[in-house]
Amino acid sequence: MKPRGLLLGLLLAAAAAVQAAANGPESSFSVDEIRQILRHGPWPPAVSGDPSNRVAGNRDAVELGRALFFDVRLSADNTMACVTCHSPEHALSDGRDRARGRVRLDRNTVGLWNVAMAHWFGWDGAADSPWAFVIRPILNPDEMAATPRHVAAFMQGDATLVCLYRKAFGSRPRNDPERVLVDVAKALAAYLGTLISGKSDFDLLFDALSRGDAAAAAKYPADARRGLALFFGRGQCHVCHFGPNFSNGEFHDIGIPYLVESGRVDPGRHGGIHQVKRDRFNRLGEFSDELAGSSGDHTRHVAQNHATYGQFKVPSLRNVELTPPYMHNGSLQTLRDVVRHYSELPVERLHQDGEALLKPLNLSEADIDSLVAFLRTLTSRQFPQMDRLSPTCK
Amino acid sequence: MLLVLGLLPLYALADCDNTSARARAEGRAVIVVFNTLPARIRVGELFSLHATLCANAGASPVRAFKVDASMPDHRHGMNYKPSVVRQTEHDYTASGLMFHMPGRWQYVFEVDTADGRERILFDYLLD
Repeated sequence: MKPRGLLLGLLLAAAAAVQAAANGPESSFSVDEIRQILRHGPWPPAVSGDPSNRVAGNRDAVELGRALFFDVRLSADNTMACVTCHSPEHALSDGRDRARGRVRLDRNTVGLWNVAMAHWFGWDGAADSPWAFVIRPILNPDEMAATPRHVAAFMQGDATLVCLYRKAFGSRPRNDPERVLVDVAKALAAYLGTLISGKSDFDLLFDALSRGDAAAAAKYPADARRGLALFFGRGQCHVCHFGPNFSNGEFHDIGIPYLVESGRVDPGRHGGIHQVKRDRFNRLGEFSDELAGSSGDHTRHVAQNHATYGQFKVPSLRNVELTPPYMHNGSLQTLRDVVRHYSELPVERLHQDGEALLKPLNLSEADIDSLVAFLRTLTSRQFPQMDRLSPTCK
Repeated sequence: MLLVLGLLPLYALADCDNTSARARAEGRAVIVVFNTLPARIRVGELFSLHATLCANAGASPVRAFKVDASMPDHRHGMNYKPSVVRQTEHDYTASGLMFHMPGRWQYVFEVDTADGRERILFDYLLD
């Protein structure tokens, strides 16, 4: 048995002991459920750095990114900062159905907790790194509407930011606006990398099962436990919402309409692949800090085909309770609505050659309640402080 | 005797019997022996595949080799298109594979020889 397999075997043995020791059918977990639970942790997972960003994990870059995240001067008319749409009050989203920039945008604002763990960014995955993801709203005329020249001028005009920049990147911002823009995005990405939410009740269950603590495992709420059985069982939700972040990081069509307005559709992943392939700021481009390595492999190998039309990213379910409304267009208001969508899945809206696993779940009201209760146990009990600090630098 | 050995096609000498820790997919004309890197495939993570191709007796040399995979029960393939590089006469490396869901996957090895194209399927359960 290989070391990892041995570890899993030991964990399962410990978990089985928990099962045997647990009292009553509501607090016990089947061996298969325990096996499934143990594939969705631990939390937080070990996260490898981003080779395409030389300042990922750099403390000074994080401080610069933190300052920039709250700074409205990053936008063309000094009215909009990252935090404007990614508000701590809404779990780093905005609570709206579709984002509001300078106009009403087409999609729901993505929450930023744990966002750096992904390999694609945005509902369509049009960005292949956190820093490329950051550049899009800065330059989008319908959002922050900045230009590389604006960003460079703003940076060079603020002594504290110049100081932070020098500490993070080793030199003053160069007279190359596009490079400064990318460095600003990389500092913001370094900050995003620190936005890791704390443990949830589900993680406490994972930890209890991992260490064979029957008493602690039995504290997991009974209604959520029924929802967990549906999530990993009949619902098959974990097939896509897989792993510690409850997302496989990929894209699916689940029958949510992609007509934005009369005569205009959102192509979803199809458009995202097209964009990321031609994006000058992708991991294969000149702005990546690792051109010879493997960090560009997703972009290098991603396949375009007609089935990607209308696909959208599988979102993480962590803290999902805090980020209504839901789906790529914010068309579902509550978690009950989301679960009901899968219960009554509109099969006629799915691609004919799409995911065959998707079938209406025909859930009872009690089933829906249980699944919602389970999803609520994915809410972190603690979040890192996000107070705006006045940046200082010596 | 030396002359006879010299006439044997090189591909017949590939070691497809020493298959410890490698999977073996047998086709009509060709055997594909392979392993992945990393050895343990993880849901949603890219991996590579190293394959050795051995022709069965009387088969023509391999002209081209492709690797793909699908989930037959789900009716879809991978979201990525692997690229295959021929490393030696018999050895190939395919990079850019990803199994993005747990469940039954099926490798599809496509081998072109002078006698035609052969598709060799190999099931793999990703747990």
